[in-house]
Amino acid sequence: MAAKPGSAKPKASSGKDSKKSKPLSSASKVSKKSTKRPPPREVKSKARTEASQLKKTKKREYTEAELDLPKLNTITPVGVVKPKGKKKGKVFVDDQEGMATILAIVNAEKEGQIESKMQKARQLEEIREAKRKEAEARHAQKKNKLEETKTAIRQKRKRRGDGNEVAKADAVVAQTNGSSSKSKGKRKSVSFA
Amino acid sequence: MRPLTEPELRAVLEKLTVYVHSSVKDLLLPLDNSSKPDRFVFRLSQSRVYYVRLSIANLATSIPRDQLLSCGTCLGRFTKSGKFRLHVTALSVIAPIARNKLYVRPNGVMPFLYGGNVVKAHISRWPQDCPEHSGVVVFDSDEIPLGFGIAAKSQAVLQRSGPTDIVCFRQADCGEYLRDEDTLFTA
Repeated sequence: MAAKPGSAKPKASSGKDSKKSKPLSSASKVSKKSTKRPPPREVKSKARTEASQLKKTKKREYTEAELDLPKLNTITPVGVVKPKGKKKGKVFVDDQEGMATILAIVNAEKEGQIESKMQKARQLEEIREAKRKEAEARHAQKKNKLEETKTAIRQKRKRRGDGNEVAKADAVVAQTNGSSSKSKGKRKSVSFA
Repeated sequence: MRPLTEPELRAVLEKLTVYVHSSVKDLLLPLDNSSKPDRFVFRLSQSRVYYVRLSIANLATSIPRDQLLSCGTCLGRFTKSGKFRLHVTALSVIAPIARNKLYVRPNGVMPFLYGGNVVKAHISRWPQDCPEHSGVVVFDSDEIPLGFGIAAKSQAVLQRSGPTDIVCFRQADCGEYLRDEDTLFTA
C-alpha cells in the first residue's frame, strides 16, 4: 500500500498553518499582558478511585411507619405480632426439669421407633416363615405326586408281566441252575509248579 | 463454654439413646441426696459437647473461652450442618449403660481396632432381640469396651448369614486415639 501523492498534500499545508499560528499566539500574549489575568489553573476532575469519591453518601433510610405502606404490602403478615420484651438470642436448657421433659420426649420418640422397628421385623419374619412353610408344602406335594406316578408305573409293569410270569420264572430257575452247575464244575484253581 | 439450647440438647440425647435407650436418664441423675446436689450437665465449647460435673462447669466459667481446651468428658461435636457426632471419647460414658452389647472373639479385636467392621466369624456373643440398625457397643471377651457401631443385621437374619458377612458397622473404636490423635481433642 503506497501512499498517494495527493494524500500527502494536506499534511504539508498543515505544517504551514502551524508556522503561521506562531505569530498569532504572540499576539495573544500581548493582549494578556495588557489585561493581567491570573495564570490559568489546571483543573483536574477527580479520579473515580479516589477515597473521597469512593465514600458512599449516606442515604436516608425510611422506617416502615414513615413510608405509610398499606398493611397487606409489608413483609410480616398482618396476623403475626412479634413478641415484645422477649429475650433475644439463644434459650438455654440448664434446669433439671427442662432437661427431664426433653429427655422424656426424646425417649418416647425413640422407644416408639424401636418398637415399630421390632414389630416390623416380627411381621416380616412371620411372612418369611409363612412363605417358607408354603414352599415346603409345595415341595412335599410335588414329591408325593412323583412317588405316586412312580408306583403307578411300577404297577403297570407288574400287570404287563403277569402273562409271561410262569415262563419268566422257569427261565430264571434254569439260569440259576445253570450258573450253579457251571460254578461247581469250572472252579478255577491256581497251582504253582 | 455454655449450656445447650433445646434443639442441641435434643440432638445429643437422640444420639445417646441410640446406644443406651432409656438408660440415658441415668446420666443426668443427681449424685447425692443433699438439698443442692451436684449433677452432671452438658456444656458446649467450640462446637464440642462435654459431659461434666456442674460444680466443675461453674468453676470453668473463670477461664476465657478461647483458652479452655477441654473440660470433663468430650461426648462429640456438632457438625456445621447442626448434626451431632459421637466421638470415641464418649465410650466411657455409654459403655456401662449400653443396651446392646456385642462381644468379639480375640481374633476379631485387632481388625476392629484398625477401623474395620465386625464380621460374623468374629463375634462370640450377640445381643438378644436386637433389631437391624440399632446401636451396639462392642466389647472384647474380657468385657473391655472397644468401640461402638450400628447393627447391620437383625438376630433372625444373622443366623442365616455367612461367616464373612458384616454384622456391625463401625462408628468409633479405641484405635482412633492413635489414628485421629491430631484432630480428636482440638478443632
